[in-house]
Amino acid sequence: MICAGIDAGSRTIKIVLIETDTRRVITKAVTDQGVEQDKLASQLFQRLLKSSGLGRQDVGRIAATGYGRNAISFADTTITEITCHAVGVRRLVPNAMTVIDIGGEDSKLIRLDKAGRVRDFAMNDRCAAGTGRFFEVIARRLGVNISSLGQLAAKSRRPAPISSMCVVFAETEIIGLLACGAAREDIIDLPIVFTGGVAMVSGMDTALRSALGQAVTVSPDPQMTGALGAAILAAKQITPY
Amino acid sequence: MPRQITLQEWDQRYEQLRKAGPHQPDYNGPLGRHVEDGDTRLLKLRYDNSAAALRLWNFLLTEEERLHRSRAEGKKLVGTMKDLGTVPVMAYSLDNIAAFYPDGAWWIPCVMESNTVLLRIADRLGIDESFCPVRAMLGAFLTGGHFPIPDLLICSVGATCDDFSAIAQRLNGLGYAILWWEIPHRRRPEPDEVEVKLPGGFQAPRCQVEFVKSELQRLKTALEELAGQRLDEKKLSAGIKKANMVRTLLAELRKLVFTAKLSPLPALEMLIAEMLAIHFCSDQNETIIVLKDLLEEVKARIKAGIGFLSPDVARIFWVNPVADLQVMNLLEDCGGRICGTEYLFTHALDTIPQDLPPTEALAQMALADPMAGSSIDRAGRICTDIRTFGAEALVISRIPGASHCALEGQVIGEIVQDKLDIPVVELEVPPFTDSMRPTLRTRLEALVETVRVRREK
Repeated sequence: MICAGIDAGSRTIKIVLIETDTRRVITKAVTDQGVEQDKLASQLFQRLLKSSGLGRQDVGRIAATGYGRNAISFADTTITEITCHAVGVRRLVPNAMTVIDIGGEDSKLIRLDKAGRVRDFAMNDRCAAGTGRFFEVIARRLGVNISSLGQLAAKSRRPAPISSMCVVFAETEIIGLLACGAAREDIIDLPIVFTGGVAMVSGMDTALRSALGQAVTVSPDPQMTGALGAAILAAKQITPY
Repeated sequence: MPRQITLQEWDQRYEQLRKAGPHQPDYNGPLGRHVEDGDTRLLKLRYDNSAAALRLWNFLLTEEERLHRSRAEGKKLVGTMKDLGTVPVMAYSLDNIAAFYPDGAWWIPCVMESNTVLLRIADRLGIDESFCPVRAMLGAFLTGGHFPIPDLLICSVGATCDDFSAIAQRLNGLGYAILWWEIPHRRRPEPDEVEVKLPGGFQAPRCQVEFVKSELQRLKTALEELAGQRLDEKKLSAGIKKANMVRTLLAELRKLVFTAKLSPLPALEMLIAEMLAIHFCSDQNETIIVLKDLLEEVKARIKAGIGFLSPDVARIFWVNPVADLQVMNLLEDCGGRICGTEYLFTHALDTIPQDLPPTEALAQMALADPMAGSSIDRAGRICTDIRTFGAEALVISRIPGASHCALEGQVIGEIVQDKLDIPVVELEVPPFTDSMRPTLRTRLEALVETVRVRREK
């Protein structure tokens, strides 16, 4: 039996299929988000099942996460992306204590306890600065591919300020905490793992490292961690070990 | 069975109740009629289905009519601004005065979606959206379309919200005379000062209590002049006793609702009920009846072992009142229930000492106001109440523009996490949250998920 995790994000839909018992990833895929979220997710899901030689009857449970999680009609359960990213990252980086997730339209900081459970979290969804959508707009304006933004930035000799806001996060609660004089180690436990689609943009990990003054590890397969976490949590509902 | 129903369902249920039920108070009626008055936001809420809850809502939504009737009957009206629970106790000690809370006008745009005119008036007066939603009060004064203009306006200043002081000063500048009284910032006594132990577990130096007493004496004189009768110690003691009846009922209601195995009353009705402690909804006697009804309903539900949520919902402590009432419904949609609250007037829920001279007792209560002390004091009381009610997580709701909320949330959150190690989330709740509902939902759901995962320890 398999379980599925669907991360219906604001910019893309990601799906991960895992074996329920072993939690081994069978396959995964991503597609662009659109108006008909449910239909797009369903099409991607069917395609994944077919390419893996599986049928709907093989799927024990489906968990949806992400901004559009409630639009996925064929999901058995919904779980927030905060919980899913925590589980997904911890699977890929077992000693992770802090997760920074920057997705299409928001950013989150998630603190974990030693057992990998969410201790607390902060979200910035008031400003799109530093999010995937922001980089898409910048890349389009510059006439380059989003993946080459990092290389382009590295060549800069005189960085031009584009606004009075922070480069990485604007108005985030994280920066708010730092500004209030709290020690970094009180806010962020090490190691810090960077995840979400924006973690794939080259140079962003360097910018984060510089902003936080701490080492930042980019999660393996950062775009898929939410879907992976959702799949694991779906599997846990069948075999809870 | 207890459940939450829509306004339309309430109107059907009202007809059943009316035909089968006992005598209804004169302000009762189908809730839907308030929508016809313009309270369109009510259509978006879900309500407890008990007759006691219906009475609570009707009592709240007919306050303006009650005030107009009081005036017509020859009663003097006193607007008690900013003060959360001291001056109304004094005013209601006189039988020909009705006091009310003009600050309550901040709810008007919250329930009357189309009524943004009050906020536009405030904008024009330079009190824009960077101020607390209480600014709607300015519009209510200028239009005169809501509450009658009071015969006497009393407003506390000093250790209260900066933004509210600015709003009240603007009102004063428009020609509305205000009798100001000062609440000093509560501090711990110096070693050479006499300490007074205040209700709520706080301390203050005797000189601060004496100062507040002198301020209350000024107010007493003004109230006597307005009423044309003495406010002697006997009357004041009787007024305190009656206010304590309200507080005792609320304390019992809070304890039962927050600690019951199954939630017997929704968060929304509890918010409305708790607010009665500070303003009595312009009728202290009726407040007591309304609360008794609610308490009886809650006791009956607990005795029958019934509630409206499943027993495993996350137990949430909530700090600061919300500007959009829908958010209280949302908490329950997300799998949470209210188990403890701190809506900035905890002191008005504690009983006023009856073994002290009445002015001394009221001065001590005024100084026990959470807004008069430090954020650390406030957080300390919140920690105590979280332990008492067994809450598993904390929500700190920020009111845009409210100076206390902006500054205190982080301090409270850090202290609660440090002392109790429970998850904390801060939410900003403006008067209209419709467009930000998905993000509020995500935060609340994530908090509930965090609580559930922690239970697996």
